[in-house]
Amino acid sequence: MSTAIENKKLKSNNKLVSTSLLLGGVLIAVMMIFGILMLLAQGGVIDVSDAAFYQFLTIHGTGMVGAAALAAAGVMWYFLNRYVELSKKIFIWFLGLVLIGVVLVVIGVFSFKYASAWTFLYPLPAISANAWGVTGALLYLFGMLILGTGFLLLYIDTGRAIIKKYGSLGKGLGWDVLSGKKKVSDAPPKAVVASTMVTIVNTTALIAGAAVLIMNIINVINPSFTFDPMLAKNLTYAFGHIFANAIIYMGVIVVYELLPKYANRPWAVSKLFLVAWTMSTAFTLVIYTHHMLMDFAMPKWMLIMGQALSYANGLPVLVVTAYGALMVVYKSGIKWDMASGLAFLSMFGWTVGVVPAVVDATIVVNHVMHNTKWVPGHFHMYMGLGAVVMLFSFTYYLAKIDSNVKESKLDKIAFWCYAIAMFAISAQFLVSGALSTPRRWAIHYPGWMTPAVFGAIAGVFLVIATTIFIIHFVRYLKNRGTVGSGLNEQKPA
Amino acid sequence: MKKPLVIGSLILLILIIPPIRIYMESIMIIHMLIQLPLLIVVGWFIGEFLMDKAPRVFELLNDNGIPGIIVFVAITMFWMLPRTLDEALTFPLYELFKFISLPLVGILLVDSWRKIKVFGRVFIFLNYLSMFGLMGWLYLDSPIQICNNYLLAQQKILGWGFIFITALMVMYVLQYVFTDHSAEEDISE
Ligand code: HEM
Ligand SMILES: [Cu+2]
Repeated sequence: MSTAIENKKLKSNNKLVSTSLLLGGVLIAVMMIFGILMLLAQGGVIDVSDAAFYQFLTIHGTGMVGAAALAAAGVMWYFLNRYVELSKKIFIWFLGLVLIGVVLVVIGVFSFKYASAWTFLYPLPAISANAWGVTGALLYLFGMLILGTGFLLLYIDTGRAIIKKYGSLGKGLGWDVLSGKKKVSDAPPKAVVASTMVTIVNTTALIAGAAVLIMNIINVINPSFTFDPMLAKNLTYAFGHIFANAIIYMGVIVVYELLPKYANRPWAVSKLFLVAWTMSTAFTLVIYTHHMLMDFAMPKWMLIMGQALSYANGLPVLVVTAYGALMVVYKSGIKWDMASGLAFLSMFGWTVGVVPAVVDATIVVNHVMHNTKWVPGHFHMYMGLGAVVMLFSFTYYLAKIDSNVKESKLDKIAFWCYAIAMFAISAQFLVSGALSTPRRWAIHYPGWMTPAVFGAIAGVFLVIATTIFIIHFVRYLKNRGTVGSGLNEQKPA
Repeated sequence: MKKPLVIGSLILLILIIPPIRIYMESIMIIHMLIQLPLLIVVGWFIGEFLMDKAPRVFELLNDNGIPGIIVFVAITMFWMLPRTLDEALTFPLYELFKFISLPLVGILLVDSWRKIKVFGRVFIFLNYLSMFGLMGWLYLDSPIQICNNYLLAQQKILGWGFIFITALMVMYVLQYVFTDHSAEEDISE
């Protein structure tokens, strides 16, 4: 397998995957700046018109989720491609469609003032009190539709490839191992299990999203066509919750692949691991109802299910992953560098970030905390300190195995700078939430301003740290293919 | 191999017989979900015959199946718009176009379906899945009568028809992805 041809193929794949990570990374850095501007506005430091604030909110939410998903899909594709045969052509189409989608969204938001937030909740796109017009709404909605189509293509391909190699998506999740038909030692690799989960939940999310986007488009073009808003909200959150959630399940693959290599220890798939991933697959699909705890028209059983399963949702995978990661690392004499350090940090961020989420998914607490900044508090923690960190862990990993670019002191400083700043931003949101500061308000009372200003300052450090990460990656891109470390990749037979 | 041609033409003939045609078109759900699909089926059969007779033409016009499937999607989407159904009843020219365009895309479909492979088929299938679900939702939720020729109650029935088809499609996907395909020779591309 270590033929020159095989290596060459892998190298050209590296180039494609790098494109998605570079694009995703740069977008994340730019979106951070809009985050800072929002905090400065809320903190009363700068004057931003209300309309502009909501444009920033829209582009920040859409951009962050989109960019992180784009880069995470690159990570998933890179590792999954070692076990099954994926189509390069499809990945190029994916990149192209996402790019077109992003351009349309940006034009819709900035040139046509579209500002419904990334949740585009029906009937807001059509009823904006003239804050924006039909053109802006259509650009945004079509942009999202095209972007979603790109992702759908990608997941059709991963699903196709997994079924081809393992027989079915159930087998990709290792169900034949669980039922005792196959030995645990023959279970699919962790990257395949995770990719199967993401393929299932995100295909579902994208189909729901496509339906609700086209519905909104029809309503924008001809407002006399109306739809049931409760069903629209269900579909919208089935799309948004699942899609945003899946980012971390794609990113975590880098932790699975990288830590055992660094620690030089196997990290075997266990039955418990497979059970955990199957449980998270099922829960992720149904718990979006925790976004509707305030909607009295919803059937009560759905809300109770939403609450109960939200507790249980991330936990199985988180526990087996965090525990597994600790076991692999513990007393292994692992060599810490940027890639392994970031991978480990991401596990920490994910674990800590889940706690406030679980608190908020409790109906009694939600009655108080609903729509306060507590909510961005939890997802900035686990996205910013979990998912996004996994992405940068991967960029350092790729740089290490595929080039001779060395990590410097500066990278290490950036590591700590990032960790502390992102933690500070998340904490700032949580404190604001505890102070009952509502989320998504362009203007704050003076009593709410201090945490926002604090967060904005932390944000500046975060942007600097992120820029240093990206510069390292760009240096890799310029030196791609020069021999890297001894961890060099080989396609497993 | 004249059999497909005979079957196709026979179905078309039956569909054209005025009492049958008028009866089918008098009920919205039969018009949309039985007559229109049957016209595509007509095309499918005729397509099988033509592919046998003149394979070169198909190679020339529809080499990788993508042009054909794009025309198919465009035409079927056109006929899914509520107002086109209405106009087919009002303007004879529209009706004529219906009886020509749908068999035509049926011909394109049978040719393209083979060429676009598993990947393309899944993509098209999932697109129609969400489109049918949406159409069902639209017809069920519309507070107004959309067509001049059909009453609100007919619209609701059609809506449930779409939901029913969507549910069947979802079940089909589920059984496809969770049953074993490792014995199959080649589900590649
Ligand atoms: C410098 C770093 C960041 C800063 C300063 C920042 C700031 C903000 C602010 C001020 C808001 C609006 C809060 C409100 O509702 O009042 C927000 C919302 C949001 N942020 Fe961030 N953020 C940062 C990083 C991130 C990251 C890394 C992600 C995810 C990958 C992210 C995803 C989101 C999302 C999804 C929203 C919700 C938008 C909405 O409510 O529609 N942010 N952020
Ligand atoms: Cu959620």
